[in-house]
Amino acid sequence: MEGIGYAWTALTTTPAAFAAVAGVIWGILGGALPGISPSIAMALLLPFTYSMEPITAIVLLAAVYVGAEYGGSIPAILIRTPGTNAAAATAIDGYEMKKQGLAGEALGISLVSGVIGGLIGWFFLVVLTKPLANVALLFTPPAYFALGVLGLSVIASLSSGSLIKGLMAGIVGLMIATIGTDPLSGVNRFTFGSPDLLAGIPFILVMVGVFAVSELLEQAGKRGWARATEEEAQTRIKLPNWAMMKRLRKPQAIGSGIGLFEGCMPGAGGSIAAFMSYNEARRWSKNPEEFGKGSPEAIAAPESANNTVAGTALVPMLSFGIPGSNSTAILLGGLLIHGLRPGPLLFEQNPDFIYGLFGGLLVANISLFFVGILILSPAIWLVNRPKPYLMAAIYALIFSGIYSIHHSLFDLYIVLLAGGVGYLMRLMGFPFLPLVLGLVLGYLIESNYRRSLLLTNGDHSVFLNDPVSLGLLITALVFVVGSAARDYQTARKKRQGSETAA
Amino acid sequence: MPRDFWIGIATLGFATLYWLEAGKIRVSPLDGPVGASGLPNVLAYAMGVLSIALILRALLAHFRPIPGEAEAVETAPLVDRMRPHFRAIGMLALGIGYLLALPFIGYFLAIMVLLLAVSLYIGADLNLRTALVAILGAVSFHVLFVEFLHIPLPNGLLIDAVLSAGSSSGNS
Repeated sequence: MEGIGYAWTALTTTPAAFAAVAGVIWGILGGALPGISPSIAMALLLPFTYSMEPITAIVLLAAVYVGAEYGGSIPAILIRTPGTNAAAATAIDGYEMKKQGLAGEALGISLVSGVIGGLIGWFFLVVLTKPLANVALLFTPPAYFALGVLGLSVIASLSSGSLIKGLMAGIVGLMIATIGTDPLSGVNRFTFGSPDLLAGIPFILVMVGVFAVSELLEQAGKRGWARATEEEAQTRIKLPNWAMMKRLRKPQAIGSGIGLFEGCMPGAGGSIAAFMSYNEARRWSKNPEEFGKGSPEAIAAPESANNTVAGTALVPMLSFGIPGSNSTAILLGGLLIHGLRPGPLLFEQNPDFIYGLFGGLLVANISLFFVGILILSPAIWLVNRPKPYLMAAIYALIFSGIYSIHHSLFDLYIVLLAGGVGYLMRLMGFPFLPLVLGLVLGYLIESNYRRSLLLTNGDHSVFLNDPVSLGLLITALVFVVGSAARDYQTARKKRQGSETAA
Repeated sequence: MPRDFWIGIATLGFATLYWLEAGKIRVSPLDGPVGASGLPNVLAYAMGVLSIALILRALLAHFRPIPGEAEAVETAPLVDRMRPHFRAIGMLALGIGYLLALPFIGYFLAIMVLLLAVSLYIGADLNLRTALVAILGAVSFHVLFVEFLHIPLPNGLLIDAVLSAGSSSGNS
């Protein structure tokens, strides 16, 4: 009851409710644009959150995530171009329905399933976060160090690309985090005499650079995306009737169940959940032969899944400070910008914030239904704008937004540099998430590592003597070794298979 | 040699440079058992080990390729393959150009030129519509950031000089 009071106060005395609706609008529009993932839509807003109250800023960012997951399905259904990775599963049957003249019905199923999935994800976020955060009360400095190592190892192991490259990206993130004045001894590190580097490299600059600028650089080499025809642009949402809702219950339950599990797992994310739920919905469907030919169930399952993930992905981030996806890494960045550290202390010291966030997310998920109906035409209009103008406007928005943080041209050079590095990482097959995670977790890992050794006068066995730390380090090792063994087995099977064929 | 081999060589070189710089970090009397250079040294070693692992894996794949999984031989001319990368470099250059011009010509003009240049670069035609998009875009950005959010974006030395010349002639 106390939590409801905090949420009500946050929603009625701050602009959090307004931020929730605005975030959903921005998210749907951003998600509808091919190439603008939820994380990019969030990164573009991040500079503007500096001057906001923490609750308003974080609700805004979290609502963008909610909106973008639905927004991605609009171009997926209308022009077979998923706006987000997670919407790729929706495109399969969504576009088939559109070809049968049922685009409005497909969009309605997508919206309703997204709202239901989002509300289920929100419910489990509220139920699971506090108990899990209380587990972190058992943590000592060695355990916090081990938790950081575990988070990095899991993400590096599960990220796309090879394990070695994932680990390397994580180390580069930690290396960037060491730039600036050492907070424990006051010694300058890697500043090369530049006063601009004394405070370190703010992670927001790296996030905007690797996510948004590198995407613009990649888009510069691509042709324009498909555009909706005059007829497609006239599409209106048709909400499913009661009989259809009854039919969609099972795929929605499957999608939400998988979304719940995948959201809590670091490195999984909405796209894996969407494709898994598509497959499972087909397996359990009474009409599996309709899948791939325009089945409503094939839209309901992935859309429920990716919107459930938008809620449950916040569970590990808020409980332990370990984000499992690009979007939650940006959300963690938003928290840290406002001096908020996730974990049990967040519930003790900032209950108004945490319950306000839950309240804001509820508003965001409910408003998704109404905004989703009203915003379809503007979203289609936006997708139909010429790509050159949109790209130019996004570039200008990045420069203006980043300058507004510290009023520094140096920051803009860093963003461009990070964008160039991000482009090279895409080219060479390095994942982004371990880099961002290394950067965000750098302080947690180093400070707890040194604090632990200070307590034991340099004795490294402290990490093995602490049971929580030992357990976490063993889990990290299992993930890394398991991932390496899986890569080895895959290569061996391929070799055996090709030799047998020869 | 496969691409990962050269990536491994590059990251090994980077790890070495980082390690050399880490060695220059000053020792502080406030340092505990692990000084400010402790973590950087560990990171340099870890990066070195991973680089060597990447090189070895690339060499193994090169000398013991999985049949049918050899790296795809690029048939397109080099210029065509490099075109997207050149375009990315061009986009980056436009951004650097904006940053260099900003202190001189000011935010309004710089953002207008950026909008125009990027639009043309990505494929818009040079016509009245593109020019209007750049002008109206610059006005919108100026209103949002300068007038509404009160961000002190540079006026530009050029604009300042013109304004001061105008005010001094007005006074005389």
